[in-house]
Amino acid sequence: MKEFSIIGKGSKRVDASAKATGEALFTADLSLPRMLVGKVLRSSLAHARILNVDTSAAERLPGVRAIVTSADSTGEKWGVFRYTQDQAFLPADKVRFIGEEVAAVAAVDEETALEALDLIKVEYEELPAVFTVADALKPGAVLIHESNPGNINVHVHIEVGDVEKGFARSYHVREDTFAAPEESYFQAEPYAVVARFDNAGNLEIWMPNAGPHLKAKPLSNCLRMPLNKVRVRKITIGGAFGGRSEISPADVICSLLARKSGLPVKVAYTREENTIATRQAHSMTASIRTGVDREGRVLSRDITCYMDGGAYSSTGPIATSVPFLCMEQAYRMENVRYNGFRVFTNKPIRGMFRTHGRAFACGVDLQLDMIGEELGIDPVSMRLRNARRAGDHTPTRSFVPSCAMTETIERTAEQSRWSQKWGKLPPYHGIGIGCNSVQTGFPMGIRGGSSAFIKFNEDGGATVISGVVDNGQGNENMLVQIASEELGLLPEDIQLITADTEVTPSDPGSYSMCETFVGGNAVRLAAKDAKRKLFEVAARVLEAKPETLIAADRKIFVRGEPDRSIATARVIRMALGKGQSIAGEGSFWPKVDPRREWVDNPYGQLSETFSFGTVIAEVKVDPETGLVEVLETWASQDVGFALNPKVIEGQFEGGLTMGGQGGMLTEYHLWDGGRLLNPGQLEYRLPLAPDMPRINPIIVESDDPAGPYGAKEAGMSVAMSAAQAYVSAICNAIGAPIKEYPLTPDKILEAIEKKGGTGESLSKKKV
Amino acid sequence: MRLPPFHYLAPRTHAEALEMMRRYRGKVRICAGGTDVMNLLRLRLLTPSYVMSLKGVAGLTGIKRRRGDFAIAAGTTLRDVEEAPEIRLSLPGVAQSAGLVAAPPIRNVATIGGNLLQDTRCLFYNQSELVREAAAPCLKQGGRVCAAVKGSKRCFSVYQGDMAPSLIAFGARAVLKRKGGGRTVPVEALFSGRGTRPLFLGDDEMLTHIIIPIPKGVYGSSYQKLRLRTGLEYPLISSAVFIGVSKKGEIDRARVVIGAAGPAPIVDGEAAASLIGRRPEEVNPEEAADHAGSIARPVDNLAMAGQYRKKMAKVFTKRAIEAALAALGKAGASW
Amino acid sequence: MVKMEKQRITLQVNGEVHEVYAFPNMTLLEVLREELHLTGAKESCGQGACGACTVLLDGLPVRSCLLLAREAEGRQVVTIEGLASGGKLHPIQEAFIEHHAIQCGFCAPGMILTAKALLDRTPDPTEGEIRRALAGNICRCTGYVKIVEAIKAAAAKEK
Repeated sequence: MKEFSIIGKGSKRVDASAKATGEALFTADLSLPRMLVGKVLRSSLAHARILNVDTSAAERLPGVRAIVTSADSTGEKWGVFRYTQDQAFLPADKVRFIGEEVAAVAAVDEETALEALDLIKVEYEELPAVFTVADALKPGAVLIHESNPGNINVHVHIEVGDVEKGFARSYHVREDTFAAPEESYFQAEPYAVVARFDNAGNLEIWMPNAGPHLKAKPLSNCLRMPLNKVRVRKITIGGAFGGRSEISPADVICSLLARKSGLPVKVAYTREENTIATRQAHSMTASIRTGVDREGRVLSRDITCYMDGGAYSSTGPIATSVPFLCMEQAYRMENVRYNGFRVFTNKPIRGMFRTHGRAFACGVDLQLDMIGEELGIDPVSMRLRNARRAGDHTPTRSFVPSCAMTETIERTAEQSRWSQKWGKLPPYHGIGIGCNSVQTGFPMGIRGGSSAFIKFNEDGGATVISGVVDNGQGNENMLVQIASEELGLLPEDIQLITADTEVTPSDPGSYSMCETFVGGNAVRLAAKDAKRKLFEVAARVLEAKPETLIAADRKIFVRGEPDRSIATARVIRMALGKGQSIAGEGSFWPKVDPRREWVDNPYGQLSETFSFGTVIAEVKVDPETGLVEVLETWASQDVGFALNPKVIEGQFEGGLTMGGQGGMLTEYHLWDGGRLLNPGQLEYRLPLAPDMPRINPIIVESDDPAGPYGAKEAGMSVAMSAAQAYVSAICNAIGAPIKEYPLTPDKILEAIEKKGGTGESLSKKKV
Repeated sequence: MRLPPFHYLAPRTHAEALEMMRRYRGKVRICAGGTDVMNLLRLRLLTPSYVMSLKGVAGLTGIKRRRGDFAIAAGTTLRDVEEAPEIRLSLPGVAQSAGLVAAPPIRNVATIGGNLLQDTRCLFYNQSELVREAAAPCLKQGGRVCAAVKGSKRCFSVYQGDMAPSLIAFGARAVLKRKGGGRTVPVEALFSGRGTRPLFLGDDEMLTHIIIPIPKGVYGSSYQKLRLRTGLEYPLISSAVFIGVSKKGEIDRARVVIGAAGPAPIVDGEAAASLIGRRPEEVNPEEAADHAGSIARPVDNLAMAGQYRKKMAKVFTKRAIEAALAALGKAGASW
Repeated sequence: MVKMEKQRITLQVNGEVHEVYAFPNMTLLEVLREELHLTGAKESCGQGACGACTVLLDGLPVRSCLLLAREAEGRQVVTIEGLASGGKLHPIQEAFIEHHAIQCGFCAPGMILTAKALLDRTPDPTEGEIRRALAGNICRCTGYVKIVEAIKAAAAKEK
């Protein structure tokens, strides 16, 4: 195993210091001269035709500098795919959910802006509204989009092998339906936008984003401006978790206000706006029918899934597919059928979330537990027998180049002392396991690749220019580690210019988990390119062949002869002296099947590689209250290679907290029709420090052939497996399955009471 | 989000404060710690023309031990109540209640008076204007029907204060002053039981002190709170129990108070009566808690369903009785 | 509609006296961010639930979003910007950096200040005491593991 000096170490993150001192500026912290305050007028009706918007009284209010309505927009509709473009920001025709944007004001201060909003008069013609998938699908239900009969936004149909034959051959078949309401991202930073135009008509815009380039193109479409005039600027970002990759109405509204007023404008969302007017996660039901052989190996699966997508498509086809795809990557299956339906309702828009599909994922795994119980096979063995292996193809024909799923299961089971616990714990004390897998990048057409540049200063420092974005997960540090390792410089020698669409080349963004694999590779290739040029110059000086040279410790020297060396800074100056300015350039495009399409052709290489994770949780349930105490957890993931073990541990720990502790115990939304009753942190319960169990991170490395230094992605598989492990453990503790999530105490108590309160564990060891 | 506009009043003496309460009655709101009022202002559930600070008024904070009782000034922070050694020793359930409110940073400024006098809450009421405007106003907003129990003419908003159940269990009294007068009433008498106007409090009245008699002899207390996390939570149901034992070794004093079941704390006289006369070791906490489960009638207007919270009224009362019994005679160790 | 007048508010922040003219309905958080340009304290929930707005008031962590600016007059306010001195980071800041207790960074100022107040009062806290002291500070990124480790390490270093 190669010894590295900088990568593979848990070095301090380059962005930590500015965040620790409060110096780091998030979007709402920005202050530009003469900046105005922007506020959005939102619909309080869930479904209505907009008859008239009268802004005259508001325009007369002193201090108001600009008001925008649909009349100011181009009417361009947004959707991630050309065939799902259904959202006009500042719609002219209808509002489709409570909270949708209708108009906006920019004023000299917040008081004036709020007063102006009250003066805008909107005339609506109220329409019937539907708030559940069931109601939306009823024959004769009001159509939210005329183009979508039955309110069906997306239908993904995947069929592999012969599912019925598979069931016929099965030794045992189970069918269960699982359900979960929506959750939300609750990024610590509420959404905000600052926009300003200069006299030449160039737009500068800042907002939390999961990929500035993904924002710039739709903005240029919506504003009818060429891309080179749309500059999405680098900014510190307070979390994304799968959101913030799409253009947002606030982006366009703020830009329109800035253009109209001729002044910079800041729109800072409240927490409530962040929850209802950006994205939420989908609520979902999943009916899963699984047939296994005598040893518990899955022969056939048939799944039907209904997702509540809210009022617009957003990432529609992706969201409809991903829970299935994660499962088919994690587990082997010969025959499988999937019907995924994303349905419109008059609710806020749903997007991709870190643990999207908890009903689906938890259902698949809990069902494996139940099948195992019926066959006398323990949960760990059920996972091992079905685990994905390297060299496999998934049912939809993705080749899996690296996979240590089995190792994650074995090591987690060992560290948690599974075999000493399962089936042997006292009543209401349980242990459970969850496994999942995640893609490292989706097919994204011309935006699927990343490019990077590296320039040098004459005193030996370098600047890496990359489109990679950091939402807090440590991507910036990753680039510095890779560049400094590859160039043989120290981290403090490397500066970063990232995530600025005027300066940095295109990058797919952190959405779809590809920053390490795609962005990291691009930087590595750029560094190798620069290094090759440095070596050419150095080789002449050292009178050696370039292929014998190594770069380390700010020097270039001959392998095995550390004294035959030259300072890298000197090489740079020598090159300059000869009229050659050394710079590096690199591009990486993941090998995916360009013909694969989410709906029309869901087969072929989905992403170039995949990560795999296993979580085991040990819990105690209070049988009188249904409250859960999580005793300890073990979280492992095959990350390919750990570029920075400390950063990766942090992803595991955060992912488990979000997917397991929050996602399975307390996080869900409460509704009154289309009104969201818990948009804030008082009533939407995020995990707190004193409730967290001990988390044992277990990093597994499968050394991916294409990842930078073998690295893939870190954390996502843990987030989802954690939810599954929590369910598995709690159901084991009470000896009864629960199929509706999250597992709030009332549901747990009900399950205990239904079972008769015998306290037996779901763990009769029959092996 | 900016708060609504108001004028800020800063009285420097008690008398000035009372005069301002009189002069601006109906239009003034006291801001003590602010941790409750500020949220109501921000949601525009309250839009007073005047907000009165008590910061400059002397004598509104502090715990005084007098002969036979404690006088806790209304502006004493919950942290001070929680940490005061004499309260932990003599009124353990009261200290316990204080320590279970929200989280430490809230307790650093929240006051015992503010906690006691908080308004009732409901998922359908404590919402922003956007959410409220999207439906007809509910009873508590001045409308005609309840939004939580659709169509009902009764308001089911919940009193979720943590201090009240323990204060009532210890027989505490509230000292209220207005310009030119005042009254002292048992804490339980402050509660109307009506969600639309939960407190019997004049709009020119100010709470100045809470007087808590120091129990004699052998006694134990406990406050048990149902919450989904270990912080930041209002109670979903709670129970405060006080048990006193005579020299003969029989329970001669008992109080059982159920919190967060409805618009007012419920003094469960029957549950308490079932304890009187028994020796502590003869008490069956489950039986004794049975009645609590039946008189609590929560509805589906908080995070957990009413049915579940009803069951928990019994469970948490049982636990409070058990803990109070276990704490008999052990000063300051009821939890 | 109440017509407010701006008032002079005198605040002591990070050891310096500041005079601002602001409406009486402004919170301490708003005055810090908008008038004094101290943007370390942040709004994340607007309800006093998350702790991102935490400042120290006479040494105790409080929600600056639930405090009227006027209420902070005459008291010592410390924000995250006041922790480092002479270009040197506070040991707790160092510990947070070293132990990877910061990911997106939005909760970090509030978290660090709460930690400082804890260690000032309880120099050698147990893990349980640390976690309970942090019960009012929400982090969405880290799962709190390395935050707790950082605080433990800072406490150990000071011993």
